[in-house]
Amino acid sequence: MSSLAAMLKAPGALIECDDDPEAVYEFLCSKGWSDGLPVIPPTPERVERMLAYCDRDFDQSVAKIPPRYGAATPIRVAANAVMAGCKPEYFPLVLLALEAMAEEQYNLYGTQATTHPCTPMLIFNGPVAKEVGINAGSNVMGNYFRANAAIGRAVRLALVNIGAAIPGTGDMATAGTPAKFTFCVAENEDNSPWDPLHVELGFPREASTVTVVAAEGPHNVNDHESLTAEGILTMVAGTMATTGSNNAYYAGQPVLAFGPEHAATVAGGGMSKADVKRWLFDHATLPLSKFSKEGIERRFRRKQAGQFADAPLNTPVHMWAKPEDLIVIITGGAGKHSQYVPTFGNTRAATRALKRADGQLVKSIQELKRA
Amino acid sequence: MAQLRRRGLIAAVVCSDTFMKLGTAQAKVFGVPDLPLLKIPHPLGGLNIEKVRERAAAALPQLLKVVKEKQS
Repeated sequence: MSSLAAMLKAPGALIECDDDPEAVYEFLCSKGWSDGLPVIPPTPERVERMLAYCDRDFDQSVAKIPPRYGAATPIRVAANAVMAGCKPEYFPLVLLALEAMAEEQYNLYGTQATTHPCTPMLIFNGPVAKEVGINAGSNVMGNYFRANAAIGRAVRLALVNIGAAIPGTGDMATAGTPAKFTFCVAENEDNSPWDPLHVELGFPREASTVTVVAAEGPHNVNDHESLTAEGILTMVAGTMATTGSNNAYYAGQPVLAFGPEHAATVAGGGMSKADVKRWLFDHATLPLSKFSKEGIERRFRRKQAGQFADAPLNTPVHMWAKPEDLIVIITGGAGKHSQYVPTFGNTRAATRALKRADGQLVKSIQELKRA
Repeated sequence: MAQLRRRGLIAAVVCSDTFMKLGTAQAKVFGVPDLPLLKIPHPLGGLNIEKVRERAAAALPQLLKVVKEKQS
């Protein structure tokens, strides 16, 4: 392993500027190295502290981030994590998320460069999420919680600063989404009536995982009235079934993030997660007639001719390709709300477990602390 | 497309003017900075057939130029 000191001697590794906070902010914004908000200056001392829980070689790339295909080395990612406000304990989770996003099925290039407003939604499961303080309760998709804010922000800064996802040249989003600042949640496993996502996917319960989804911002489902599973799901299905969703055209894996109270009502009606997915697949549909004439002709009759060439206008259009493609999690606090999260469509979620260098699952972040 | 170019085949990418910076940067990243980009007016989506023909008419002479240069 190259020493950190040696790496910092490489040409361009260090840049000097006035250490006044406002001057640093101005400097980083002028270089295009911020997300527009103030950042913590990534001094060598801070970067070194950020790497305190990194058991990788600091200069070994864990992912290539398009469109520049920049090497996401721990030292580079650590600089972005410092800027984002991460604690060193968060750092292995930032790295894990980037590794997951680099899996081919995620389509990182497409999600970075597209005009669609997608961004990585990070869903954490397992004990480490709770240990480092990733919020899974009230306001889970909102502000206030450092781990949620900083981990998602660090990922976004890495996508910009290492991958060159620069609006208008590398990130061609027409409008983007506020979720591009951060979109990081933990599943509220303690208040779930079902197995958590990582267990459903075949990971041991004691594993700590991240699932990355190329997501839009969340769409709220308000239902204070329904008393039954079918009632809640009817309201969810109505929120899902929209003509402008990429998932109606490109499949993909949208996310239903039940609030715990809605989940309890649905599970209380005897429904499993698989039942929920099947029910919503069948009911979150729109008749073909709801789309524009041009959309029907071009998007359905020609591009999906096998299914729609001669289909009558009352033919149901499903909002994703297969029932099991829907990702169902429980997150958030008290209240009669759930969230629907559509995706880029041409992407699959990727899930990775946090492991030590010897391949063993990490059960506590302290296992990764460097001597 | 970059791989076809590297193999010496005639290869070009149709690119709307709004996407030229991305296309140029990607050609460099993939090691084929001389990959021809056939520039057409943005947008490419949401066009009627006449507008699509206009884009084709804009791209065609650029494509022929690429082919002729390769042949010479």
